[in-house]
Amino acid sequence: MAFAPLDPILHNQLRLAIMSLLVTVEEGDFNFLLEKTGATRGNVSVQITKLKEAGYITVLKTFKENYPNTVCSITTKGLTAFEVYVKAIKDYLKT
Amino acid sequence: METNLTPEQSLKLIDDMMRQAKRSFHRISFYFLLWGALLIGAMLLEFIMNTMGQPLYGKSWGVIGVIGGIISGVHGARQGKKEGASTTMDRVMMWLWTAFVITLVVTIVGYGVTGGGTPAGSILVLTGLPTFVSGQLMRFKPLIFGGILFWILGMASYFVTPPMITWLYIGAMLFGYVIPGYLLKRQEDGLRTA
Repeated sequence: MAFAPLDPILHNQLRLAIMSLLVTVEEGDFNFLLEKTGATRGNVSVQITKLKEAGYITVLKTFKENYPNTVCSITTKGLTAFEVYVKAIKDYLKT
Repeated sequence: METNLTPEQSLKLIDDMMRQAKRSFHRISFYFLLWGALLIGAMLLEFIMNTMGQPLYGKSWGVIGVIGGIISGVHGARQGKKEGASTTMDRVMMWLWTAFVITLVVTIVGYGVTGGGTPAGSILVLTGLPTFVSGQLMRFKPLIFGGILFWILGMASYFVTPPMITWLYIGAMLFGYVIPGYLLKRQEDGLRTA
């Protein structure tokens, strides 16, 4: 049986963590992702950029109580990619 | 955090993160406790003033509606600033309860304008809707039962005399709002510390 190749964008611990959080919530800000993943500010920022460049998330720069606030939300493309990824790893586990 | 995830690790990570995110749902028990207390207070005030021969003709509901609206608005704005994420469920809840409050205000004003008697029965029946739907969305049985209780006691209040309506109303608010609100608060507190 041939397995579907795993999406390299999602097959990364931090990017997968960010996507899993954004699949559950409608939108999450930078501090929310930072707190929930426990990763460093720089690493989260880099992975957000990669997910954005892949078209998996949208990033909106706003202000919250006079401070810059980055709000992320998952795109339809990102949601589809996430579903395909979950199906692929489930198929791996079935064998 | 780098690659080389096994399928097991991937699934576990997804599950952990989804559980983490679910702990971020907004707390709504505050609103049940607040509105339960305020609406019981309004009814008691109406009842006492009526007994004393100085009826308020539903004015206390209007005043308490404004007070409750302001407190809810301020609390909601503060909570929104604190939370870093909002879910579809949060949005559904917000609009469900906003639509309910608007319908309630229009109904109470309608009763006042037409002199249609006490709005207590209609308030109970209307309140049953968002309470029942919230309970179903959250899969929280005390709110589902609360919603059903509002409908039953609301219906019953159309067939009884005014003093009895007061006690049906207070009972519905207590068992449909305040007690489920308190149980929900306990669950929310537990979820936050888990």
